[in-house]
Amino acid sequence: MSVSDQPIPLSGRILDIGVRFLPHFVLFAVIIGAWEISVATGLITSIIIPRPSAIWSAIVELYITEGTIYRHFFITLTEAVVGFAIGAGVAVSLAIASSLWDPFRRYVTPYAVVLNVTPGIALTPVIIAWFGYGMGSKIALAAIISFFPIFVNTLTGLVQVDEDREELFNSLGASNVQVFRKLRAPAALPLMFAGFKIGLTTALIGAVVAEFAQATDGVGVLMSRFSFQLNMAASLATLLSMTVIGLILFYSMEFLDDRIVFWRRESRRAAASRARARTWAAQAKK
Amino acid sequence: MVKHEQSMAAAGDVVVSGLNVGKTFAAGTVVALENANFDIKRGSFVSLVGPSGCGKSTLLRLVSGLIEPTSGEIEVHGTPVNGPRADISMMFQKATLLDWRTSLENVLLPTEINGTPSKADKNRALDLLKLVGLEDFAFSFPAQLSGGMQQRVALARLLQTGADILLLDEPFGALDEFTREHLNTELMRIVAEVRATAIFVTHNITEAIFLADQVVVMTSRPGRMAKIINVDLERPRPLSIQTSVEFNKLVEDVRETLGAV
Ligand SMILES: Nc1ncnc2c1ncn2[C@@H]1O[C@H](COP(=O)(O)OP(=O)(O)OP(=O)(O)O)[C@@H](O)[C@H]1O
Ligand SMILES: [Mg+2]
Repeated sequence: MSVSDQPIPLSGRILDIGVRFLPHFVLFAVIIGAWEISVATGLITSIIIPRPSAIWSAIVELYITEGTIYRHFFITLTEAVVGFAIGAGVAVSLAIASSLWDPFRRYVTPYAVVLNVTPGIALTPVIIAWFGYGMGSKIALAAIISFFPIFVNTLTGLVQVDEDREELFNSLGASNVQVFRKLRAPAALPLMFAGFKIGLTTALIGAVVAEFAQATDGVGVLMSRFSFQLNMAASLATLLSMTVIGLILFYSMEFLDDRIVFWRRESRRAAASRARARTWAAQAKK
Repeated sequence: MVKHEQSMAAAGDVVVSGLNVGKTFAAGTVVALENANFDIKRGSFVSLVGPSGCGKSTLLRLVSGLIEPTSGEIEVHGTPVNGPRADISMMFQKATLLDWRTSLENVLLPTEINGTPSKADKNRALDLLKLVGLEDFAFSFPAQLSGGMQQRVALARLLQTGADILLLDEPFGALDEFTREHLNTELMRIVAEVRATAIFVTHNITEAIFLADQVVVMTSRPGRMAKIINVDLERPRPLSIQTSVEFNKLVEDVRETLGAV
């Protein structure tokens, strides 16, 4: 935290960032350089590990000159997102029902636990047999393995008791529905979003693993195809696209988390506070 | 400042009464409150003082209808209490604000529970925030407020219910002494201004006497009302009254009652 509130001039800030990241750039350059040299000198055979420069050319080809990656990229992204949406929808509905109705929870929980301890990935062949080679099986697997973390987090969030606040609601004569809508549900949001972040990442794993197993499109297919051809540079260049999908998914959820669970972060609170004041002023004028 | 005259004017007008009220917990093994008899007059300020575990909170929760007595009966405005009701409202030691609501939205919660707040309700909430000195923080979230400010929001929310009987369970107990003293003075002013009846729980003898028309001294194991002491000090009361001879006589009286058992 800085003591003075004086704004630092832009040039100074750029310099600041430069100084802070310089060691990281240097380390990265050294690793890449050492890698390039050890492959070039034959220390490591390029069939196992390609040169960084070869990966770079593959990236240029896949992403810029030929642009083959994009169709696959969007297919995998769609599978992960749709799978997540289905998994999250079912998980949140079951968690809400379980939190409201104890007998329901007693019947649902064992199945959820069994589903969790069974490695979801192992279901791949069965899922493909059921849903075919297309996007359906990828979506199904993504949905199945993203279900559990979301279910558990949402249920935990919903059943955690805040006795003092509940007593307040009771003393105000609130109905069960009101306690749920105005207290339990908002209080569960932080944990729910923690579950969403895990679920979204596992959904991507599900989609890619199902593509590896059997598919015609998607970055997983592309990557295994390149690997079979022993085109390691292109294979690793494809892997990069999965990282990018992962980052897009993670940061989209982080963004939503920030806006929806705004009260947990100082800067978001301040922004939300100003927004409420503006809304009030606008309504007062009418 | 509005003079606190209601208790005189409406003397004899009982709004809360208890007859042989008892409460046990754990299948009768814990006697939280035994044989409590009391009449509370309209507009009066009653302090409940006593050691930890003597049943002060239990008594408030019984009056509010949050729990049912094991024996005896409590009446409010002439009707028996059987569950939470609109003419009674309670405030706790913790502010129990909702983190995702602004001060204004927190104050509006009781109104929302009864229906959709009208424009008048919203303006009333804003007025109440003004009354507790928080007009500049209407759009702040609880995490942006100090502990004392959070309790003020809770106080405004208490008043927003429109209840004329206010139950306060150590409302400023978690705050530092300066803030507490200040808020106590404010509370006295506000309760007089809205002409409410207040039952105020505290561990602090000075505070109990300073605020009240009547101090109910409670003793523990089993929880009992040991003595009811009338405080005939005139209002408004300056803080300096606490050093007066009369005031200290009352303090001694309470001390003796507490020490006698
Ligand atoms: N829900 C409960 N279950 C079992 N025992 C309880 C319950 N609530 C209160 N008690 C017991 O009843 C007695 C009175 O409790 P109460 O909370 O009313 O005391 P108090 O005077 O408010 O104390 P404090 O000043 O510490 O808040 C205590 O012995 C307590 O352990
Ligand atoms: Mg208590």
